[in-house]
Amino acid sequence: MTVLSLNIKNVHKSFGSLKVLKGISLEANKGDVIAILGSSGSGKSTLLRCINLLETPDEGEVTVSGEKIDMVKTKKGLKAKDHKQVDRLRTKLGMVFQGFNLWPHKTVLENVIEAPIYVQKRGKSECIDEAKQLLEKVGLSDRADYYPSQLSGGQKQRVAIARALAMKPDALLFDEPTSALDPELVGEVLKVMKDLAEEGRTMLVVTHEMGFARDVATRVIFMHEGQIEEDGCPDIVFDQPKSTRFKQFLSNT
Amino acid sequence: MFELGGYTPIIIAAMKNTLLVGLAAMILAIVFGLLGAWAKVASQAWVRGLANTYTTVVRGVPELILLLLFYYGFPQLVQDFAESMGYEVLIDIDPFLAGTITIGFIYGAFCTEVFRGAFASIPTGQAEAANALGMSNFLMFRRILLPQAMYFALPGLGNVWMVLIKATALISIIQLDEIMRMAKIAANATREPFTAYFLASLLFLGITAVSMVGQHFLEKRVAKAGQH
Repeated sequence: MTVLSLNIKNVHKSFGSLKVLKGISLEANKGDVIAILGSSGSGKSTLLRCINLLETPDEGEVTVSGEKIDMVKTKKGLKAKDHKQVDRLRTKLGMVFQGFNLWPHKTVLENVIEAPIYVQKRGKSECIDEAKQLLEKVGLSDRADYYPSQLSGGQKQRVAIARALAMKPDALLFDEPTSALDPELVGEVLKVMKDLAEEGRTMLVVTHEMGFARDVATRVIFMHEGQIEEDGCPDIVFDQPKSTRFKQFLSNT
Repeated sequence: MFELGGYTPIIIAAMKNTLLVGLAAMILAIVFGLLGAWAKVASQAWVRGLANTYTTVVRGVPELILLLLFYYGFPQLVQDFAESMGYEVLIDIDPFLAGTITIGFIYGAFCTEVFRGAFASIPTGQAEAANALGMSNFLMFRRILLPQAMYFALPGLGNVWMVLIKATALISIIQLDEIMRMAKIAANATREPFTAYFLASLLFLGITAVSMVGQHFLEKRVAKAGQH
């Protein structure tokens, strides 16, 4: 039996009276590269944020690397029962944000080694060696001692990817990783992501990059108004979409 | 230049107490400020209420009155209470301690506002990135938020320090031998109030001028932390 990297069952989430997720279920096997498409407001970012509990679902279950996140019911929805468990499971999920969110008071290298040293409590010299390898992998070994403010957007995002990889996560969550970038910088980030996909990493990628979804993803999900409208292999869903909304979405992009 | 019947070195030596009370009070104010800033955004309504009461009351009542209340009023309150219970106690607060606590408590309210603004200036993504990497809230606060908040808070804290160090002159009324009290003694003894108080003002000006230069360098050193 293979252990699912991620298993999300019947997740609901509302912000006030706005229902953003209306019962989403999703399984990700090891090595899956799932592109999550949808127009803005369809709930795709919220779904990603519910997986590592940056948003707490109102209802539903989230299982990471075979371990279910313990949540208790309260008046306002669910609440994580054990913060330590959440912190531990978060180390198994690398997240890359649209806005990079690098820490400006730390150098590139310090950004990458921070969590391995202070969260995973690994040796500093070991972490530095690994960080340097990761920076080389994302093509930034010559920028280790720079501060984030000295980098371009594409470079920042590649550092953010290295920072996520430094935790040796079981799966990576990308929340519109190229949406804040100048068009000419998108390619360098997508290339790194493509390399990761080819390594067999489990990835969930919320994106507007149709090329990535079509060529790199192993599976494509289209969300609309908090529900999954289309789900399947890229070749099939792009050529023969079942949902009329997905057809509309494709013709608009 | 300043004869003052031999009082000049005594007034200058009193700078030590001014600086000691000032520094101790500033540290206390920063602690109160961090606690207050945390309390102002706490999820419990009563904690927020407490913090708001603190900043409203303390910022709204003159320092002098708070100092007198604490130094004279508080011991009397405790003594009266003890007496009503049948005990005889005599509380004598050390002027240094009273001064430090009162000034620290008062300027902690100002620091609370400085820190509240500083933490609010940090984009939420900073904390999210830390949380997403499995950092506990405490670790995230210590390693990610506090260093950045310090950068945003520095100009405000420098300002608080300048006002605070001047406010230590008030402590002269509770008999602590700092600049102001020694200048007053010298003025009375020598009947040269202008010379005595002019010397005192020069000393305060010296402290604040050095502080400004120090602040400038400190701000330069941490400048990298604020570039988002």
